[in-house]
Amino acid sequence: MQVEKFYYDNKIVRNFAYATVIWGAVGMLVGLWIALELVFPVLNITQYFSFGRIRPLHTNAVIFAFVGNGLFMGVYYSLQRLCKARMFSDKLSYIHFWGWQLIIVSAAITLPLGLTQGAEYAELIWPIDLAITVIWVIFGWNMFGTIIKRREKHLYVAIWFYIATFVTVAVLHLVRSGELPYTWLRSYSFYAGVQDALVQWWYGHNAVAFFLTTPYLGMMYYFMPKAANRPVYSYRLSIIHFWALIFLYIWAGPHHLLYTALPNWAQSLGVVFSFMLIFPSWGGMINGLLTLRGAWDRVRDDVILKFMVVAVTAYGMATFEGPMLSLKNVSAIAHYTDWIIAHVHVGALGWNGMLTFGVLYWIIPRIFKTELYSKKMANNHFWLSTLGILFWAIPMYWAGFTQSSMWKQFTDAGQLKYTFLDTVTYLRPFYAMRSLGGTLYLVGVIFMIVNLYKTVRSGKLVADEAAEAAPLEKEYVAHKGEHWHRWIERRPIQFMLLSLIVILIGGLIELVPTFLIKENVPTIASVKPYTPLELEGRDIYVREGCYVCHSQMIRPFRSETERYGEYSKAGEFVYDHPFQWGSKRTGPDLAREGVGNLKKPNGWHFRHFRKPSSMSPGSVMPAYPALLDDELDVSNTEAKINAMRTLGVPYEKGYEKQAIADLEKQAKEISDNLASDATPIIISPKREVIALIAYIQRLGTDISKNKTATTNQ
Amino acid sequence: MFKFIKQYADTMTSANIYPIISLFIFLVFFVVLLVMVKKMRKENIAELSNIPFEKDELTNSNL
Repeated sequence: MQVEKFYYDNKIVRNFAYATVIWGAVGMLVGLWIALELVFPVLNITQYFSFGRIRPLHTNAVIFAFVGNGLFMGVYYSLQRLCKARMFSDKLSYIHFWGWQLIIVSAAITLPLGLTQGAEYAELIWPIDLAITVIWVIFGWNMFGTIIKRREKHLYVAIWFYIATFVTVAVLHLVRSGELPYTWLRSYSFYAGVQDALVQWWYGHNAVAFFLTTPYLGMMYYFMPKAANRPVYSYRLSIIHFWALIFLYIWAGPHHLLYTALPNWAQSLGVVFSFMLIFPSWGGMINGLLTLRGAWDRVRDDVILKFMVVAVTAYGMATFEGPMLSLKNVSAIAHYTDWIIAHVHVGALGWNGMLTFGVLYWIIPRIFKTELYSKKMANNHFWLSTLGILFWAIPMYWAGFTQSSMWKQFTDAGQLKYTFLDTVTYLRPFYAMRSLGGTLYLVGVIFMIVNLYKTVRSGKLVADEAAEAAPLEKEYVAHKGEHWHRWIERRPIQFMLLSLIVILIGGLIELVPTFLIKENVPTIASVKPYTPLELEGRDIYVREGCYVCHSQMIRPFRSETERYGEYSKAGEFVYDHPFQWGSKRTGPDLAREGVGNLKKPNGWHFRHFRKPSSMSPGSVMPAYPALLDDELDVSNTEAKINAMRTLGVPYEKGYEKQAIADLEKQAKEISDNLASDATPIIISPKREVIALIAYIQRLGTDISKNKTATTNQ
Repeated sequence: MFKFIKQYADTMTSANIYPIISLFIFLVFFVVLLVMVKKMRKENIAELSNIPFEKDELTNSNL
């Protein structure tokens, strides 16, 4: 048959590679900064760079900018070669690249400005969500276009992972972005309380699965055999790995919500499926490592293989730890602590980081037709990263375990042994050590930047790399007794649909009952909507990213009910769009901050926001002087009330007209109260801090108002 | 259609059946997958796992 000549597009691969390196360094630098903010709170320079606003910048930069560009680099390089075809459209590749960078830049601008939806890893505001949808569709269009015009009949395992990534991220993004805009920059989540929590962690966990894991597994299945110069260990295992992984992953989200107000059956479902996940994950790890069978001697000399081996090993460790953390008894210890932060960084620094570095060192010399500038430098990078991960993770595991045991200890007299603040001050040295680990890792990345820069300078980009292959035969003659998987491997659209069905089963069985069955969220009669001032205060709470360090979810343990009050009930959150349960306690839980032993005078909160360490010596919370100066913007209060009513919050019809008057009345009461403090605080009722105090004082008061409140159960 | 499902779901006495159904679906899915993969032919497998490589590129081929 006539062989066709064509050219691979290396320019787009180079662009994504550069973006990966640049955004990687930026994301890690922000990470280092926030790590240092916890050691030296003075680094919270202005409200724009406070921990609550730039911690989401760090997570978004690392996930969507570093790993995002990294996966596009890997996909654009390997997909063309596996399909023996140039990308479907250079124009789509171009729009995809620049569109994605524009999204990243808008995230980097909006997050420090406090424009956020207040949901972890889904913070970006609705116009950016729309842009992500458009660019993602363009990526998919370009990918499927390439697959359809391919010259290789069968879709190699890496491509299955890419297809699953595309289809699942699309579903996750659409469901999580369900929101009602009330201005062109701001919106409220469609979902409230328990339902919002379930959607969030179904999304959050699967963002890890289908953005940080499946595309990188696809890359592992392509680049590891290429680097080792031998085929994957077991293709059979890769088929099982793929289908079992995508089937199981989608169910595991509720393990982020163990012992919370989420219905018990959903928690159990999350535990069982999370535990089973260990099998396909380890199947994949073993498949990756055994690809090196007979080539282990080369790992000593080949720095690319070294990076890949550590990456796959870190994947194995993180996917062993994940199922363990999903067991209820382990979660009881680890949840809300730095243990989880250590766990995710083994994944991010180890698995994603090291694999990205290995692939970069592999691709750049090839597309520039040259040799790597310095193997020694790359080796130094390898050791700096490996040590960096250890210095990062070990102190944080230690910190997490210590933190948890300090929270849970009682004296012989039956009282809590440590205050929350005791744990904060105890952990500061660990946070300092973690910063050292991060610095080592970042220095390694700087080594890589220099090395790759010199490599690029010594070669010339082969923008269009010549290749040739025979076109596909029109009529495919199936082998006798052909296997079903070979059939589906030739049909990308059917493959996508089958993947979609497989991931939808888990999603639907988990989400639908929680939305439809009333008994899952028992209502509580005394729980009422927020007053307009409290609602405005809550929006400030979301804007400042308070949920990054404070939970609002008391688990039913004695150590928690003693410290924070009655455990949280599902019915308390029915008007919370978005939910603010949080996932980490760098500061204490705030669910009952307005009642019982935890209630503090307005003056305390005022002084605390002005300078936290003045009320809590040793506190690492940022100061919020801007809240004392800035006037509360009430121009959208009416729109907010209307939006909330549309979402099902029972504000009476026409209440929006009365809202501002009510807001001003409540604000005046608080400012009058502050003026009557023993040391009077004179402040205008129009300041933002007044609204935030109103919200904090409201927390937990609903169910204490009426102890005999009945539920519908 | 949706109304019908909602009405049915509203009147369900317990959602506890869901985990059992889920586990069952997965087990069936997994066992079928296992059997299918087991039945694949060795030559086909070798051919598929060599897709990333150009002809003559490989020094350690399964072929």
